[in-house]
Amino acid sequence: MPIWNQQNVSHLLARSLFGFSKDDLTKAMGYGSFQDLIDKTILVDASLPTPPNAWVNTVPAQTQLNDGSAGRWYTEMTNWWYSSMVNEGLNVREKMVLFFHNHFSNERDKVSYPQNMYHQNQLFRKFAFGNFKQLVKEITIDPSMLIYLDGRGSRGSGPNENYARELMELFTLGIGNYTETDIKQAAKVLSGWSVNGLNAVFTTGSWYTEASVTVLNKTAKFDYKTLIDHIFDQKATAEFICRKIYKEFVSYKPDEAFVLKMADVFRTNKYEMKPLLRFLFLSENFYNAAIIGSKIKNPAELMVGSAKLLQVKSPDLANIYELARTLQMQLFQPPNVAGWTGQREWISSTTYSHRGGFTDSLLTGKRYTGANVTGKLDPIAFARSFSNSEKADKWVDDMVSLAIRFPLSDVRRKMLLDTILDGTIVANWNTYILGTDARINKFLKMLMRLPEYQLC
Amino acid sequence: MKKKLSRKEFLAQMAWISGGVGFGLSAVSGKAFAQTPAHLASLVQSAGAQRGKVMVIIQLSGGNDGLNTIIPAEDDQYFVKRPDIGIKKDAALPIKEGMYFNPAMTGIKKLYDNGKVSVLQNIGYANPDRSHFRATDIWNTGSDAKTVLDEGWAGRFLSAKYPQFPVNLPSHPMAIQLGSVESMLFQSDLGRFGTVFEDPNLFYQLVSGSSADTDLPPATLAGEELGFLKQVATTSLQYASVIRDGATKGKNTLTYPNTNLGRQLGIISKLISSGLETPVYLATIGGFDTHSNQLTQHANLWKTISEAVLAFQTDLENMNLGDSVALMTFSEFGRRLNQNGTMGTDHGTAAPMLVIGKSVKGGLVGANPNLKNLDANGDIKFNYDYRQVYSTVLRDHMGVDGVKTQDIFNKTFERLPIFSNSPEVLPEATSLELITPVPNPVENFALIQYSVFDKMSIKLAVYDLVGQEIQVLFSGERAVGSYQITADLSRLQAGFYILNLIGSNGQRLNKRMIKQ
Repeated sequence: MPIWNQQNVSHLLARSLFGFSKDDLTKAMGYGSFQDLIDKTILVDASLPTPPNAWVNTVPAQTQLNDGSAGRWYTEMTNWWYSSMVNEGLNVREKMVLFFHNHFSNERDKVSYPQNMYHQNQLFRKFAFGNFKQLVKEITIDPSMLIYLDGRGSRGSGPNENYARELMELFTLGIGNYTETDIKQAAKVLSGWSVNGLNAVFTTGSWYTEASVTVLNKTAKFDYKTLIDHIFDQKATAEFICRKIYKEFVSYKPDEAFVLKMADVFRTNKYEMKPLLRFLFLSENFYNAAIIGSKIKNPAELMVGSAKLLQVKSPDLANIYELARTLQMQLFQPPNVAGWTGQREWISSTTYSHRGGFTDSLLTGKRYTGANVTGKLDPIAFARSFSNSEKADKWVDDMVSLAIRFPLSDVRRKMLLDTILDGTIVANWNTYILGTDARINKFLKMLMRLPEYQLC
Repeated sequence: MKKKLSRKEFLAQMAWISGGVGFGLSAVSGKAFAQTPAHLASLVQSAGAQRGKVMVIIQLSGGNDGLNTIIPAEDDQYFVKRPDIGIKKDAALPIKEGMYFNPAMTGIKKLYDNGKVSVLQNIGYANPDRSHFRATDIWNTGSDAKTVLDEGWAGRFLSAKYPQFPVNLPSHPMAIQLGSVESMLFQSDLGRFGTVFEDPNLFYQLVSGSSADTDLPPATLAGEELGFLKQVATTSLQYASVIRDGATKGKNTLTYPNTNLGRQLGIISKLISSGLETPVYLATIGGFDTHSNQLTQHANLWKTISEAVLAFQTDLENMNLGDSVALMTFSEFGRRLNQNGTMGTDHGTAAPMLVIGKSVKGGLVGANPNLKNLDANGDIKFNYDYRQVYSTVLRDHMGVDGVKTQDIFNKTFERLPIFSNSPEVLPEATSLELITPVPNPVENFALIQYSVFDKMSIKLAVYDLVGQEIQVLFSGERAVGSYQITADLSRLQAGFYILNLIGSNGQRLNKRMIKQ
């Protein structure tokens, strides 16, 4: 059992949420044990958020693409999702939605209609703690997916192999665990579907006519459900998914022995996500000191997390939306069917410097372009919300332990303290001196520009 | 006994424990980034002074349709297979021998007519991959289809050029990429060589306020990631002001077209003109995955490239920088000969590459694409390996020697007649190569490297300045390959000597050598 202390709790919050605030941490510590924290809030089912707008149920039509509605709706939906992240509370669901969006990667450029991607997004939310096998069945005939991987219009007589390949390569088994023949045969089973507006439609006449096909060494008259059951009977499937969960929540370098343990738990629980996540978050492995602070924040974690850290209640969503594109993580537009690679792929000198530009904008109220950013921090009020606000050295320590998961060197700490003191001494420092707001801003700017701040 | 580490292993270890952070950077330790480094003074260069060569690479991302770029408009088969998207010769711009430029390529045609464009036909590799991701990796790493490498070929070139990296960073960026996501081209086992940005001033502005220190991160998983971030931070800090000042000092002598690529090349030209010693630049233009309705889209892309490249070349020549710079295009694959059902083309294989500059030979290199003798997928077969092009650019433009070039690609690739100083014949009749011995001056032992490109008898010997043979180091038959010997020269008297390599084909190569 992991030790219940602030470091471990902070680590759990950092990985299961899009960042957290001082108040979030206080609230989490109030649960008193990992079991309670996890069972009573982190993994608790909640009702689905209300849709961004009525358009989500409007039947897709060409005019929506022509007159720019679709583009506006995508922006609305993206902001709606960011709001869900900002307001996620102590619950891992939104992280799981992003995990599934990345796993079953669909691009808005190809899907075109935000309505389809909205329903897919809510499907992920519905299954965040649900049955993964059932999710794969539902995603297989999800209109957005049928459009994205060309399942729509695939006929048994000449099937399109696109979805069959990615189903095995990226969604369930992983490369090396199936043959080209398996793909060709599975493609027949998956044929027969088309998309009519918001609905998937099956046409028996477009389906395969063979009496049976052989997929992964089993011969049967498969339909898409029995095919997926059969895929989940392969040992590789649970391991593949658990490895990916491990890489998302623990470390991009998987511990294979532990992944096998996770896969056992996953199979025993018939592919239910909640017991798997519970096992993971209660394992010693998850709290291993070596992996704390080893994850490079993705842009959503960085941006939403920074707003939470500074307790900016209504961050400027237009700012986040724009920067997400620059930082190479536009929601609903992953780079390709394999999704975002993550970790070091997030970082180049361009994106690294823009990350600093974003965190600055929360303090300055200006984007790098000079455009105004709403929800700018009030530095004095923020500092005074901490009981140590009048003790510079203590407050610096408080902020470091709140914001930085990586053990920060003394040199760095001193640098931060020197910045906030700005020539004065600890004894003379308080938030009532003229110009303190600028000092606090300078300190926070430096804090969020530390390379360590990019880690969680 | 403890195993002796190779330089590369040593550096890799240093990079790991230091997180690749330059040890020589104590000057910025713990200080916010503020002033212009003193070494910027070295940016000033008098006109006409000897300067390093530069290669500018333009990546055409998505798979450029080679057959509608360099068009076989006199080949009936082309129109049989492309009844709707074939471009007729009356509309196209003639090159020669039945080949034509896409009508949108007027700027490149103008450069071609002035002898500044080498059009290399049917470039590819064996067993080509048709996946965007894998094929892009192949072209960036310089690997065979079946070998997976995680270092870019330019990264390997830069590793050789900057042996101190990552322990010390040179004063100017080692490689510059305009864009956001760092290309594999500049990655290496020792770290990332590229500095990536979109706009010099914005980059400087965004980096301001960051800091770097030289603390060694702990040897943990998280420490490794921190080391990586510190390396990016350090490189950014080190170079943001150099780049900003370069862009301020440098100039453009004309207005570039108002396109993304035009902007990229305009920045590159400014930086080159400022005296920045960066040897490699990467610019990118996307949108080449033309599966449907490709005619207008493809023409627009080439209009963009053609106009930007014409401006770039003119600009460089206006500033007398034409001899220093060569520009090369590449794309992950060409496209299928057959048009598809939606007025576009699907993923294919071999395609032309362009090398542009004042020092190119100019003209059409290699036979026209054979539209009847296709591979099993209906794709064009390649005539020359893409690494022959890279090798030629490295050797004949960048001045990298044959052995180092071979090291970069792990194989010798015969050069193509791309530059004025490239071998005339195609394919090249390669024979011998001799590298200056190290150390030079020599005290007792010298390391001598040479390569034999055709099996032959050779003699490697030391002569004095009057031509008298002093010491024979090797004499005999040699198979194709690269060789190195450690020569014991302790018996030589102090003075000047000639190291001489003679082949049975008649070739003689000399290197001067000083004995201390």
